[in-house]
Amino acid sequence: MTDQLQIIAEGKGDFLKVDPDGFREYVRDHKQRAMNPKVMSEQEAIKTFVSDGDYLVYECNYLQRGPAALIREVIRQEKKDLWLGAKFTWVAAALLVGAGCVSKLDVGFFLFGPVVEEAIRSGKVKAYEYSNVVMTNRIMAGAMGLPFIPVRSFGGTDGFEHSGAKLIEDPYTGQPITIIPALNPDVALIHVHQSDVYGNARIFGTGISHVESALASKKVILSTEEIIDTEEIKRDPGRTTIPYHVVDAVVHLPYGAYPGECQGRYASDMGHVIEVVGATMRGWIPQYLDKYVHGVANHAEFMDKLVGYQRIKDITGRSTIKEGYGI
Amino acid sequence: MTGTPATYFNEREHQICLVARMVEDARTYWVAGGGSPMAAILLAKKLYAPNAVYVTEDGVVNPEPMLPLDPLMTMVSSRASYRALQWGTMNSIGFQAQTGLMDVGLLNTLQVDPYGNINSTALGDYNGEHRRFGGPGGADSIAAMCWRTILMTDQQKRKFVPRVDFISSPGWLDGTEGARERAGLPRGTGPESVVTPWAVFDYEDRYLRLAGVSPFVTVEQVLAEMSFEPKMSKEIKTLDTPTEEELEILRSELDQRGQITDVGKPIIRLDDGSYQFVEEQKEAKELPSSW
Repeated sequence: MTDQLQIIAEGKGDFLKVDPDGFREYVRDHKQRAMNPKVMSEQEAIKTFVSDGDYLVYECNYLQRGPAALIREVIRQEKKDLWLGAKFTWVAAALLVGAGCVSKLDVGFFLFGPVVEEAIRSGKVKAYEYSNVVMTNRIMAGAMGLPFIPVRSFGGTDGFEHSGAKLIEDPYTGQPITIIPALNPDVALIHVHQSDVYGNARIFGTGISHVESALASKKVILSTEEIIDTEEIKRDPGRTTIPYHVVDAVVHLPYGAYPGECQGRYASDMGHVIEVVGATMRGWIPQYLDKYVHGVANHAEFMDKLVGYQRIKDITGRSTIKEGYGI
Repeated sequence: MTGTPATYFNEREHQICLVARMVEDARTYWVAGGGSPMAAILLAKKLYAPNAVYVTEDGVVNPEPMLPLDPLMTMVSSRASYRALQWGTMNSIGFQAQTGLMDVGLLNTLQVDPYGNINSTALGDYNGEHRRFGGPGGADSIAAMCWRTILMTDQQKRKFVPRVDFISSPGWLDGTEGARERAGLPRGTGPESVVTPWAVFDYEDRYLRLAGVSPFVTVEQVLAEMSFEPKMSKEIKTLDTPTEEELEILRSELDQRGQITDVGKPIIRLDDGSYQFVEEQKEAKELPSSW
């Protein structure tokens, strides 16, 4: 027998239970291998696939190709007790916390402000500390079907103390190495440029961990700018970013990233972005949500009544960079 | 440095120029957020180090951003990622840093301590009364895995503290030899310098050392804006102020709208060989300027 593996230090933060075999069994039992159409409305997708208490990942919302319309629907349906993977999240964390949807945050980076601050300080929301890279590494480990992954960052920080990380003696080199728990979220919300009805999806341009999130998550909801024919997918399979068999719902939501940008399609709406950042920094999230989320029934009505033709024309016209975006 | 000394500039412009002149050719710079670190690397590429490689926090390799960027769209947007060599991801660039490809990290911070530890999480008692901020973002991994790290911040007592309220991103940790390696961080990495509009610091035995002071302030003024005493370099350099050539590029190409260079920052005038503040210094807001 060899010596026991030595744990030098460990964080005290709660973390989503690590269960790679459980995830495999979920995948075996729930991920559709058959090519079944999965197109549905955003109401149906969120109602069916987001449950109270779920762990939710998304990224760059209200910045670039974020699932903005889907997140507004999560708020509209008043989901509760969510655990957010808050990396590259920007104002979405504040909107979801302000709406009372959240009980836990795994922090990489979010736009702070009085609403989240007060929620954390009062204990309504519990924050666990990571970083953007450590969070995407965790999702990578989840996508690889592993229980944990060693990383060369994060050790020595105070975040470590408030996380699920451990410092161990590497059995191969004998050196100290940080390990972090894999993350298999319950739900990934991902906005894409193109998808067929089965969920074979194309993303053009940059992203943070969209592929890993799709592969690591139990339930994957795509919103897409455009529904394309499967024949088009087969014409250029190297362009398929996310394969259909990990996808549970496809929602056709043109301008679904509004007020953020969708590369190659439309620019951000600067006025709206400044409005929502102002609301976040001043603690006016409830007023913002009343107007832009609860004031309309769905994304179509949001675009019709609250955004309107002139602003759609403006953001579309300002999207002048087309190279690399499949257009 | 060559060029015509500018007669009118603000503190942020001066700081950006100081960092731009530190940038080395043919090195990779992993840059957090946008804002002044981005302006510094882009200015360097235009004037001093054309083959320096600008890598964005989110993994875009050597873009030529279409400036000005839309408000708050300093990362991940099509304008910020324009004409890159590769569009990567957070994981792809994180792994490249892990294998040692990222040479220098370029970061902003809320708070720094004598060991170069960085706080962007909370001011005050994390377990009690505190002001909450957004977290490390990508800075933790940049500070952990780049070979060297350059930190940009303002010269303020509340920013230079004996011990940061929360180590979001690692410097020399407790300052003892080997502390980073004992925490699992890669061998041979660590902080290199801290640059404020008033001063440049390096490290001696993993402890902050004052290396240079801007000509419009005194050493005493710099020390008065620190809550601890740094080590002192044997010879404290007088830092060069911006040149007309640097400001021309900064103002007409990199920051036309003055979003990065903070129009509210104190302005300095060079008149007949002496530097003067044009107006009273204002309290800077406690927001990371990259956002």
